[in-house]
Amino acid sequence: MKKNKIKMLIGGGIFCILMMFFASWHAITFNDSRLVVPMDFGSYTFQIKDLPMIISIFLTCSYVVSLFVVLFINIGKRQKEVVQTNTTRKINPKWGFLGLMGFLGFLGFWTYPINGDVFPFVFFMCFGFFGFFYEGKMAGTFMDERFQENVVQAQVKSYKITFSIMFITLIILCQGRFFGSLEYTFIATIIVLSLTLALGIFLPEYLLYHYDHDEQANESEE
Amino acid sequence: MAEFECRLKKYRQLKNMTQEQLAEKVGVRRETIMRLEKAQYNPSLKLAIDISRVVEVPIEDIFIFN
Repeated sequence: MKKNKIKMLIGGGIFCILMMFFASWHAITFNDSRLVVPMDFGSYTFQIKDLPMIISIFLTCSYVVSLFVVLFINIGKRQKEVVQTNTTRKINPKWGFLGLMGFLGFLGFWTYPINGDVFPFVFFMCFGFFGFFYEGKMAGTFMDERFQENVVQAQVKSYKITFSIMFITLIILCQGRFFGSLEYTFIATIIVLSLTLALGIFLPEYLLYHYDHDEQANESEE
Repeated sequence: MAEFECRLKKYRQLKNMTQEQLAEKVGVRRETIMRLEKAQYNPSLKLAIDISRVVEVPIEDIFIFN
Protein backbone atom coordinates (compact mmCIF):
# COMPACT_ATOMS: atom_id res chain seq x y z
CA MET A 1 0.00 0.00 0.00
CA LYS A 2 1.27 3.50 -0.84
CA LYS A 3 2.38 5.72 2.05
CA ASN A 4 -0.11 8.44 1.07
CA LYS A 5 -2.96 5.95 1.28
CA ILE A 6 -1.78 4.72 4.69
CA LYS A 7 -1.55 8.33 5.90
CA MET A 8 -5.09 8.99 4.63
CA LEU A 9 -6.42 5.91 6.43
CA ILE A 10 -4.70 6.87 9.70
CA GLY A 11 -5.87 10.48 9.30
CA GLY A 12 -9.44 9.28 8.68
CA GLY A 13 -9.31 7.14 11.81
CA ILE A 14 -8.05 10.03 13.94
CA PHE A 15 -10.77 12.29 12.47
CA CYS A 16 -13.48 9.74 13.34
CA ILE A 17 -12.17 9.41 16.92
CA LEU A 18 -12.08 13.21 17.32
CA MET A 19 -15.61 13.49 15.88
CA MET A 20 -16.82 10.85 18.34
CA PHE A 21 -15.23 12.71 21.27
CA PHE A 22 -16.75 15.99 20.10
CA ALA A 23 -20.20 14.41 19.63
CA SER A 24 -20.01 12.76 23.08
CA TRP A 25 -18.99 16.06 24.67
CA HIS A 26 -21.81 17.85 22.83
CA ALA A 27 -24.38 15.24 23.88
CA ILE A 28 -23.25 15.27 27.55
CA THR A 29 -23.09 19.08 27.73
CA PHE A 30 -26.09 20.17 25.64
CA ASN A 31 -28.29 17.11 25.09
CA ASP A 32 -28.79 15.43 28.50
CA SER A 33 -26.34 12.64 27.48
CA ARG A 34 -28.80 11.30 24.87
CA LEU A 35 -27.28 8.49 22.76
CA VAL A 36 -24.35 8.32 25.21
CA VAL A 37 -25.97 6.67 28.21
CA PRO A 38 -28.05 3.49 27.59
CA MET A 39 -31.58 4.44 26.43
CA ASP A 40 -34.75 2.82 25.11
CA PHE A 41 -34.50 2.99 21.32
CA GLY A 42 -38.05 1.66 20.97
CA SER A 43 -39.43 5.05 21.93
CA TYR A 44 -36.70 7.09 20.25
CA THR A 45 -37.74 10.29 18.48
CA PHE A 46 -35.32 12.32 16.43
CA GLN A 47 -34.16 15.68 17.79
CA ILE A 48 -31.97 18.15 15.94
CA LYS A 49 -29.49 18.08 18.87
CA ASP A 50 -28.86 14.35 18.16
CA LEU A 51 -27.39 15.25 14.79
CA PRO A 52 -23.65 15.50 15.81
CA MET A 53 -23.76 12.06 17.44
CA ILE A 54 -25.65 10.49 14.50
CA ILE A 55 -23.19 11.99 12.01
CA SER A 56 -20.16 10.80 14.00
CA ILE A 57 -21.62 7.27 14.32
CA PHE A 58 -22.35 7.23 10.58
CA LEU A 59 -18.80 8.45 9.79
CA THR A 60 -17.20 5.88 12.10
CA CYS A 61 -19.27 3.03 10.60
CA SER A 62 -18.40 4.18 7.07
CA TYR A 63 -14.73 4.36 8.05
CA VAL A 64 -14.73 0.81 9.46
CA VAL A 65 -16.51 -0.54 6.34
CA SER A 66 -14.07 1.26 4.01
CA LEU A 67 -11.15 -0.05 6.09
CA PHE A 68 -12.36 -3.63 5.53
CA VAL A 69 -12.90 -2.99 1.80
CA VAL A 70 -9.34 -1.58 1.45
CA LEU A 71 -7.99 -4.53 3.45
CA PHE A 72 -9.70 -7.11 1.22
CA ILE A 73 -8.65 -5.32 -1.98
CA ASN A 74 -5.06 -5.24 -0.71
CA ILE A 75 -5.09 -8.93 0.19
CA GLY A 76 -6.43 -9.74 -3.28
CA LYS A 77 -3.71 -7.65 -4.93
CA ARG A 78 -0.99 -9.35 -2.90
CA GLN A 79 -2.28 -12.81 -3.79
CA LYS A 80 -2.28 -11.85 -7.48
CA GLU A 81 1.29 -10.62 -7.10
CA VAL A 82 2.31 -13.92 -5.50
CA VAL A 83 0.83 -15.89 -8.42
CA GLN A 84 2.37 -13.61 -11.06
CA THR A 85 5.89 -13.43 -9.61
CA ASN A 86 5.91 -16.93 -8.08
CA THR A 87 7.46 -15.54 -4.93
CA THR A 88 6.29 -15.81 -1.33
CA ARG A 89 4.12 -12.98 -0.05
CA LYS A 90 5.85 -9.95 1.37
CA ILE A 91 5.22 -9.65 5.06
CA ASN A 92 7.06 -7.82 7.83
CA PRO A 93 8.58 -10.21 10.44
CA LYS A 94 7.45 -7.72 13.10
CA TRP A 95 3.92 -9.10 12.67
CA GLY A 96 5.32 -12.00 14.71
CA PHE A 97 4.92 -9.84 17.79
CA LEU A 98 1.17 -10.51 17.46
CA GLY A 99 2.09 -13.86 19.01
CA LEU A 100 2.48 -12.04 22.33
CA MET A 101 -1.33 -11.78 22.33
CA GLY A 102 -1.23 -15.47 23.24
CA PHE A 103 -0.32 -14.47 26.79
CA LEU A 104 -3.83 -12.96 27.05
CA GLY A 105 -4.95 -16.57 27.36
CA PHE A 106 -3.67 -16.55 30.94
CA LEU A 107 -6.44 -14.05 31.72
CA GLY A 108 -8.77 -17.04 31.70
CA PHE A 109 -7.25 -18.28 34.96
CA TRP A 110 -8.32 -14.95 36.46
CA THR A 111 -11.75 -14.51 34.83
CA TYR A 112 -12.95 -18.08 35.39
CA PRO A 113 -12.91 -18.02 39.22
CA ILE A 114 -14.45 -14.51 39.24
CA ASN A 115 -17.37 -14.85 36.81
CA GLY A 116 -16.95 -18.26 35.17
CA ASP A 117 -15.79 -16.68 31.89
CA VAL A 118 -13.66 -19.14 29.89
CA PHE A 119 -13.43 -17.19 26.64
CA PRO A 120 -9.94 -15.67 27.30
CA PHE A 121 -8.40 -19.17 27.09
CA VAL A 122 -9.01 -19.00 23.32
CA PHE A 123 -6.34 -16.30 23.11
CA PHE A 124 -3.71 -19.05 23.55
CA MET A 125 -4.34 -19.62 19.84
CA CYS A 126 -2.59 -16.31 19.13
CA PHE A 127 0.76 -17.90 20.02
CA GLY A 128 0.56 -19.24 16.46
CA PHE A 129 1.19 -15.73 15.13
CA PHE A 130 4.83 -16.10 16.16
CA GLY A 131 5.01 -17.94 12.82
CA PHE A 132 4.97 -14.54 11.10
CA PHE A 133 8.60 -14.12 12.25
CA TYR A 134 9.61 -16.99 9.99
CA GLU A 135 7.20 -16.13 7.18
CA GLY A 136 8.56 -12.58 7.20
CA LYS A 137 12.12 -13.84 7.01
CA MET A 138 11.23 -15.79 3.88
CA ALA A 139 9.21 -12.97 2.31
CA GLY A 140 9.81 -12.55 -1.42
CA THR A 141 11.55 -15.94 -1.79
CA PHE A 142 11.31 -17.42 -5.28
CA MET A 143 9.17 -20.56 -5.05
CA ASP A 144 10.99 -23.11 -7.16
CA GLU A 145 10.11 -26.81 -7.13
CA ARG A 146 12.37 -27.64 -4.15
CA PHE A 147 10.81 -24.81 -2.11
CA GLN A 148 7.34 -26.09 -2.96
CA GLU A 149 8.38 -29.60 -1.92
CA ASN A 150 9.62 -28.18 1.38
CA VAL A 151 6.27 -26.38 1.85
CA VAL A 152 4.38 -29.64 1.43
CA GLN A 153 6.81 -31.53 3.68
CA ALA A 154 6.51 -28.89 6.43
CA GLN A 155 2.71 -28.87 6.20
CA VAL A 156 2.39 -32.65 6.30
CA LYS A 157 4.70 -32.90 9.32
CA SER A 158 2.88 -30.17 11.23
CA TYR A 159 -0.54 -31.70 10.41
CA LYS A 160 0.70 -35.08 11.68
CA ILE A 161 1.92 -33.55 14.94
CA THR A 162 -1.19 -31.43 15.56
CA PHE A 163 -3.63 -34.23 14.69
CA SER A 164 -1.73 -36.63 16.96
CA ILE A 165 -1.96 -34.14 19.85
CA MET A 166 -5.69 -33.63 19.18
CA PHE A 167 -6.27 -37.38 19.03
CA ILE A 168 -4.43 -38.06 22.31
CA THR A 169 -6.15 -35.09 23.97
CA LEU A 170 -9.59 -36.32 22.94
CA ILE A 171 -8.87 -39.85 24.16
CA ILE A 172 -7.70 -38.57 27.55
CA LEU A 173 -10.20 -35.75 28.07
CA CYS A 174 -13.32 -37.48 26.74
CA GLN A 175 -13.33 -39.45 29.99
CA GLY A 176 -14.66 -36.18 31.46
CA ARG A 177 -12.85 -36.71 34.73
CA PHE A 178 -10.04 -34.17 34.61
CA PHE A 179 -9.47 -33.25 38.29
CA GLY A 180 -12.76 -35.12 38.84
CA SER A 181 -14.79 -32.33 37.26
CA LEU A 182 -16.51 -31.93 33.90
CA GLU A 183 -15.95 -28.16 34.03
CA TYR A 184 -12.20 -28.54 34.40
CA THR A 185 -12.27 -31.06 31.56
CA PHE A 186 -14.01 -28.48 29.37
CA ILE A 187 -11.43 -25.80 30.27
CA ALA A 188 -8.56 -28.20 29.65
CA THR A 189 -10.06 -29.05 26.25
CA ILE A 190 -10.29 -25.37 25.27
CA ILE A 191 -6.70 -24.75 26.38
CA VAL A 192 -5.25 -27.79 24.63
CA LEU A 193 -7.22 -27.20 21.41
CA SER A 194 -6.20 -23.52 21.36
CA LEU A 195 -2.55 -24.38 21.91
CA THR A 196 -2.72 -27.13 19.29
CA LEU A 197 -4.22 -24.71 16.77
CA ALA A 198 -1.44 -22.25 17.62
CA LEU A 199 1.07 -25.01 16.95
CA GLY A 200 -0.71 -25.78 13.66
CA ILE A 201 -0.33 -22.15 12.58
CA PHE A 202 3.25 -21.76 13.79
CA LEU A 203 4.85 -25.08 12.90
CA PRO A 204 4.56 -25.04 9.06
CA GLU A 205 6.34 -21.68 8.90
CA TYR A 206 8.99 -22.73 11.42
CA LEU A 207 9.69 -26.06 9.72
CA LEU A 208 9.73 -24.50 6.25
CA TYR A 209 12.26 -21.91 7.39
CA HIS A 210 14.49 -24.60 8.86
CA TYR A 211 14.19 -26.95 5.89
CA ASP A 212 15.16 -24.09 3.64
CA HIS A 213 17.91 -22.55 5.76
CA ASP A 214 19.55 -25.51 7.51
CA GLU A 215 20.25 -26.92 4.09
CA GLN A 216 21.82 -23.65 2.99
CA ALA A 217 24.07 -23.50 6.06
CA ASN A 218 26.16 -26.38 4.74
CA GLU A 219 26.28 -25.09 1.19
CA SER A 220 29.10 -23.10 -0.32
CA GLU A 221 29.44 -21.44 -3.69
CA GLU A 222 31.22 -23.47 -6.39
CA MET B 1 14.72 -41.02 -2.07
CA ALA B 2 16.58 -43.02 -4.74
CA GLU B 3 20.35 -42.79 -4.45
CA PHE B 4 22.04 -41.26 -7.43
CA GLU B 5 25.23 -39.70 -8.57
CA CYS B 6 25.14 -36.24 -10.06
CA ARG B 7 27.78 -34.98 -12.46
CA LEU B 8 26.18 -31.61 -12.96
CA LYS B 9 29.07 -29.67 -11.41
CA LYS B 10 31.53 -31.09 -13.94
CA TYR B 11 29.34 -30.30 -16.96
CA ARG B 12 28.42 -26.88 -15.62
CA GLN B 13 32.07 -25.96 -15.17
CA LEU B 14 32.80 -27.22 -18.68
CA LYS B 15 30.22 -24.70 -19.93
CA ASN B 16 31.88 -21.98 -17.79
CA MET B 17 28.68 -21.29 -15.92
CA THR B 18 28.20 -20.33 -12.32
CA GLN B 19 25.50 -21.91 -10.19
CA GLU B 20 23.66 -18.61 -10.25
CA GLN B 21 23.63 -18.47 -14.05
CA LEU B 22 22.47 -22.05 -14.39
CA ALA B 23 19.79 -21.51 -11.75
CA GLU B 24 18.48 -18.47 -13.61
CA LYS B 25 18.36 -20.34 -16.91
CA VAL B 26 16.40 -23.30 -15.55
CA GLY B 27 14.16 -21.19 -13.28
CA VAL B 28 15.21 -22.36 -9.83
CA ARG B 29 17.18 -20.91 -6.93
CA ARG B 30 20.95 -21.28 -6.60
CA GLU B 31 20.45 -23.36 -3.48
CA THR B 32 18.56 -25.93 -5.53
CA ILE B 33 21.49 -26.25 -7.94
CA MET B 34 23.85 -26.67 -4.95
CA ARG B 35 21.69 -29.46 -3.54
CA LEU B 36 21.49 -31.08 -6.98
CA GLU B 37 25.26 -31.07 -7.38
CA LYS B 38 25.61 -32.76 -4.01
CA ALA B 39 22.99 -35.32 -5.10
CA GLN B 40 20.88 -34.30 -2.12
CA TYR B 41 17.87 -33.36 -4.17
CA ASN B 42 16.00 -35.53 -6.64
CA PRO B 43 14.85 -33.18 -9.42
CA SER B 44 11.59 -33.34 -11.31
CA LEU B 45 11.68 -34.65 -14.87
CA LYS B 46 11.10 -31.13 -16.19
CA LEU B 47 14.03 -29.69 -14.24
CA ALA B 48 16.28 -32.55 -15.31
CA ILE B 49 15.37 -31.95 -18.96
CA ASP B 50 15.87 -28.18 -18.63
CA ILE B 51 19.33 -28.71 -17.07
CA SER B 52 20.31 -31.22 -19.72
CA ARG B 53 19.31 -28.74 -22.44
CA VAL B 54 21.26 -25.89 -20.86
CA VAL B 55 24.49 -27.86 -20.33
CA GLU B 56 23.91 -29.75 -23.61
CA VAL B 57 24.53 -33.17 -22.10
CA PRO B 58 22.05 -36.10 -22.06
CA ILE B 59 20.15 -36.54 -18.79
CA GLU B 60 21.52 -40.04 -18.22
CA ASP B 61 25.07 -38.64 -18.29
CA ILE B 62 24.26 -36.02 -15.65
CA PHE B 63 22.18 -38.10 -13.26
CA ILE B 64 23.32 -41.66 -12.74
CA PHE B 65 20.95 -43.76 -10.66
CA ASN B 66 22.54 -46.73 -8.90
